[in-house]
Amino acid sequence: MMGAMSDDARAILLLCSSVAAGRGDDARPLGPAGWAKVAEQLDRAAMAPGSLLRMGEADLARVLGDAVASSEVVARQLARTGQLAIELDRLAMRGISAVTLADDAYPWRLRDRLGPKAPPVLFTAGDRSLLDAGGVAIVGSRDIDAAGESFAADLAASAARAGRAVVSGGARGVDQTAMRAALHAGGTVLGLLPEGIERRIREPDTRQALADGLVVLASPYHPGAGFTAGAAMGRNKLVYALADVAVVVASAARTGGTWAGAEEALKAAWVPVFVRTAGDVPDGNRLLLRMGAQPLDAPEVPDPTIAMSSDRVAEPIAPYEQTTLGLGDGS
Amino acid sequence: MLGPGAEFRDGQRRAIEAVIRDGSRTLIVQRTGWGKSLVYWIATRMRRDAGHGPTIIVSPLLALMRNQIQMADRLGLRAVTLNSANRDDWPAIEAALAADRVDVLFVSAQRFANEDFTSRLLPTLQGSIGMFVVDEAHCISDWGHEFVPDYRRIGRLLPAFGPVVPVVGTTATANDRVVADVAAQLGRDVQVVRGPLARASLHLDAITLADQAERLAWLAEHIPGMPGSGIVYCLTVADTERVTTWLRANGMNAAAYNADVDSVVREGLEQDLLANRLKVLVATIALGMGFDKPDLGFVVHFQRPGSPIGYYQQVGRAGRGVADAYGVLLTGREDDEIAEYFITTAFPPTERLREILGVLEDVETATVRDILAHVNLPRGQVEKALKLLEVDGAVGHERGRYFRTPMAWAPDEERISGVLAVRRRELASMRAYVDTAECRMAYLGRLLDDPAAHECGHCANDGGRVWPRDVDHDLVLAAIRLLRGDIRVITSRKQHANGARLSFVNEEGRALCVYGDAGWGRRIHHGKYGTGRFDDEVVAAAVAVISIGWRPSPSPTWVTAIPSTAHRTLVGDAAQRIAAQLGLPYVECLTAAFDRAPQKDMENSEHQEANARRKLGIQGELVQPGPVLLVDDVVDSKWTLTVAGELLRSHGSGPVHPFAFAVASQRGA
Repeated sequence: MMGAMSDDARAILLLCSSVAAGRGDDARPLGPAGWAKVAEQLDRAAMAPGSLLRMGEADLARVLGDAVASSEVVARQLARTGQLAIELDRLAMRGISAVTLADDAYPWRLRDRLGPKAPPVLFTAGDRSLLDAGGVAIVGSRDIDAAGESFAADLAASAARAGRAVVSGGARGVDQTAMRAALHAGGTVLGLLPEGIERRIREPDTRQALADGLVVLASPYHPGAGFTAGAAMGRNKLVYALADVAVVVASAARTGGTWAGAEEALKAAWVPVFVRTAGDVPDGNRLLLRMGAQPLDAPEVPDPTIAMSSDRVAEPIAPYEQTTLGLGDGS
Repeated sequence: MLGPGAEFRDGQRRAIEAVIRDGSRTLIVQRTGWGKSLVYWIATRMRRDAGHGPTIIVSPLLALMRNQIQMADRLGLRAVTLNSANRDDWPAIEAALAADRVDVLFVSAQRFANEDFTSRLLPTLQGSIGMFVVDEAHCISDWGHEFVPDYRRIGRLLPAFGPVVPVVGTTATANDRVVADVAAQLGRDVQVVRGPLARASLHLDAITLADQAERLAWLAEHIPGMPGSGIVYCLTVADTERVTTWLRANGMNAAAYNADVDSVVREGLEQDLLANRLKVLVATIALGMGFDKPDLGFVVHFQRPGSPIGYYQQVGRAGRGVADAYGVLLTGREDDEIAEYFITTAFPPTERLREILGVLEDVETATVRDILAHVNLPRGQVEKALKLLEVDGAVGHERGRYFRTPMAWAPDEERISGVLAVRRRELASMRAYVDTAECRMAYLGRLLDDPAAHECGHCANDGGRVWPRDVDHDLVLAAIRLLRGDIRVITSRKQHANGARLSFVNEEGRALCVYGDAGWGRRIHHGKYGTGRFDDEVVAAAVAVISIGWRPSPSPTWVTAIPSTAHRTLVGDAAQRIAAQLGLPYVECLTAAFDRAPQKDMENSEHQEANARRKLGIQGELVQPGPVLLVDDVVDSKWTLTVAGELLRSHGSGPVHPFAFAVASQRGA
C-alpha cells in the first residue's frame, strides 16, 4: 500500500496534515482553502504537486508566490518525506491509511461536490471503497428524545434493508444510534468522525465491524486528534456530500452544529435534504422545512428522485431570529 | 583511517557517488572489511554539508554500533545510538536531535515498532532525514538466511521515502536471489555495487566426529596450535558454557559469549578478544555482524550451522588482515536434530496465532500474561507470535498492552512454507559442504553465487593444511568426565505463574546432567525410554552427587518421589534405590491423577502450574516431619517439583530438596 504512494500525495500530506510534523514546529497544515491557493499556483505553472518535493526554497517562493505565508516553512515541511514514510507505516500497522486529492481513490462525491472546499487529506480505516457507496445521511443532535431516537434507528434499519449505506457523523446521539441500527440490520456504514480515528478503532465493536468490511471510518483530522466543536462543524459537509440523500432527524433552530450543517447543505444543494416531520419535532425541523427541506413523516428511506424534481423554493426567513448562541447540539 | 594520501578501494568512490545523489537507491554487496561504512560516513559528511538532515542507520547489533561510532568520531561526525539499553540517555539525545547536533543516528529495526521512538523521539528531529541506510539489508528478504520480523517493516518503508532521501542497503552476504529481492524492495533504478566475497588467507576444513566428547577432545588438542586468537561458534547457549569450561580446564584463556551475558560484560569480552587477551571466545551468533578483528586467527564451529550464508559470515571473520587463518567446521551426531529444531520453531503454528488473535478480539487490550493464561504456548513463542502479528498489522501494542487492529489477518502460508523450504535447502547445502571433495572456498563461493568464485589452492581439499581426524582417547575420556560432572542447579520458583508469591518455596536442588548429552544424558534417555530402569551406574552417580558434591542442608531424613503416570516404576524405583544407599526411609505419599495430560505437553508457566495442580495429590497421613529429598527423572518447567514441594510442606514435611536425574536440554542462542 505504501509503495503505491505518489509524490503528489506525499506533497499534499506534508503540506496539509501534521503527521510528519516536528515537535514544536510552528508550521500549520494547510486547510482546503490554503491548499486551493497552492493548487492554483501549481496549475498556473503547469506543475504537479510532487514536483514541489524537489525544489529548493527559492524555487518554492517563485512558484508559490503569496499563496503561502512563508516559503521557508513550506520547504521545511516538504523536507520531511522520511518522517512521513515512517509515520504512515506506523498508522498503516494500526489499520489507518491516508487518501489525498491526488489519489484516484479519493471519494469522487467529495471532489465533485465540494470543489475547493474538499479536504485535501482524509485518514480512513476499514473498506475504503465504501466511501463511494453513497447512501442515506442521517443527522441530528447529540441530545435527542426517545421519539427522535427510535425514528433514527428505524430509518437506519430501513436503509440497511434497502441495501443502502448509512452516512453518519459518528458522534453520540442520532449519529451513533443510526450507525448501530444499520449494522444491527446487516447494513453498512460510513462514519465521518469529528475527531481523529485512532482511538475509535480500538473499541471492540467498531474493530469487528471494520474487520468485517461493514464500516468505513474517515476523518480529515490527524488520527490522534481529540474532539472539538469546530472539527465537528468542519466534517458536517462531508456527511452530506458523501450521501445521495440526507435526513435531519432533529435540529435546534438557528443554533448548533446540526442546524449549521443543514443550512449549509440546503444552500449548497449537494444532495436532497429531508427533515423529520412525524410527531412532536423540534423548532429547527419546522424552520428547515421553510428553508427548502422536504418533509419525511415515516422512518423510511425517502426517494430522492422526487426531491430532485421538486421545484420548491426556499422561503425567505428573517436573519436573526435565533434566541440562543453557541453550540447547543454540537454534532 | 583517512589519513593524508588515503585512497579509495575498488568501488568505494563509485558507491559514494551513487549514494549522495538525491533519491538514489543503492545496494552495496561487499565482504565485511571492504569498507562499506566508510561509504556512508563520507556520504553523510557531503549530504550534511549540502544542508540535508542527519543519516539514520538501521543496524541489528550493538557491537556494530559501538565499533562504528568510534570511526565516526574520527571523521568529525556526531553519531549517537539509540537502544533499549541506553534509555537514560534518550532525553539528551532528544535535545541533541532538536538542536540539529546529530549527524548519524543508529537504531535497531526493533525501534520502529516502538511508540516512544516513532511518536516521541523521531518528531524531535528537526528538518529532514538526510539519508536512510539499512545495514545487513539481506534481513529484509524472506529468502535471506536470517528471519527478523522487524525488517519486514523496514522493507515496507524503503519505497516510501520519496524522491529526495537516498536509501542505501548494505550486506556482506547475499546470493543472487537475495540480492534481486532486496534490490526490488529498494525500488526502481537500484544501483548494485558488488564485489568478490572470497578471502585469500582463509584455510577451510570440515571434520565429522562421533559426538560432543570427541569434538571437545579435538578442540583441546588443536586450538592451542592455531595462530593468534579466535572464535569457537556453538549453536546453543548451554554449549558455549560447556565448551568454555572445558577449554579452561585444558589451560586455555576462554570465555563464553551469548545472549544471556550482560551487554556490558559482552562489550568487555569483545575488547578482550580484540586485544588478544583471550585465546578464544566461545560464542553463539550473538557475536555477530560487524564484529571486526582483522587479525582473527581462526574460527572453529563446534556444530554445523544451518546455512552457507550464515556459515560464510561467521567463518569470514577470520583472516581479514593476516596471511593465514583457519576455518574448521566440526560436525556430528546432534547437529541435524538442532538444525531441525530451529527450523520447526521458526514460525509459531497458524492455529496458535489464531488463538492469540481470538483472545485479543474479545478485549480492548491484554498483556502477554493474560494471553498465556488462554494459549498453551511457551512465553517466547507467544512473544514471537505477537511480533509476527504486529508486523502483519493485525496487532498493535502500547506500553506493554497488546490490542487487535481492525485489519483482517490471514496466515501467509505460501511465504512461510517458502521460507522453510529455503531453510531446508540451505541445511542440505551445508551437509553437502561437509562432504564435498571440491575446493571448499570455491564450493562456498558458488553456493553464495559469487561470480568470482574460484579454486583457492590452500583449503584442506585443495592442497592446504588438513587437520587431524582422529582424537586423543584420554582427552575423550576427560571430556566425558567433564560432561558427567556437569551437575546442574535447579533454582526454586518463588512465584505463581500470575506473579503472586508462593506460600512454600523449595530449597535449591540439583540435577545429574543435561538430558541427552554425551555424559550421563544418553544413559538417562536409555533408562527412560529403553529399559524402563536407571542402571546402577546412574544411580551410583546420583548418590555421589547428593552425598558428596551437594550435601543438602538441613540434611534430608526421608526420600520421596514424583509419581509418574507414563513410567510407573521408573522414578519410584530409582528413588527407592537412592534412599537405600543413603540409608534413609523411602515413603510414597504423592499421587497422580491418571487422566491428566502429560506435563511436558504444557507449553507455558500458566498452563504448567495449572496442570501440575490438577494432576498432583498427596496422602497427607504418610508425610514425615523432617527435611525431604524429592526425586524426579527429568525436570523442565519445575512446576511439578514446585507444586509437589508445596503439597509436602503444607502437610507437615520439613524443607524440600529437589533432585532430578536430568534437566531438559535448553535451546537457542
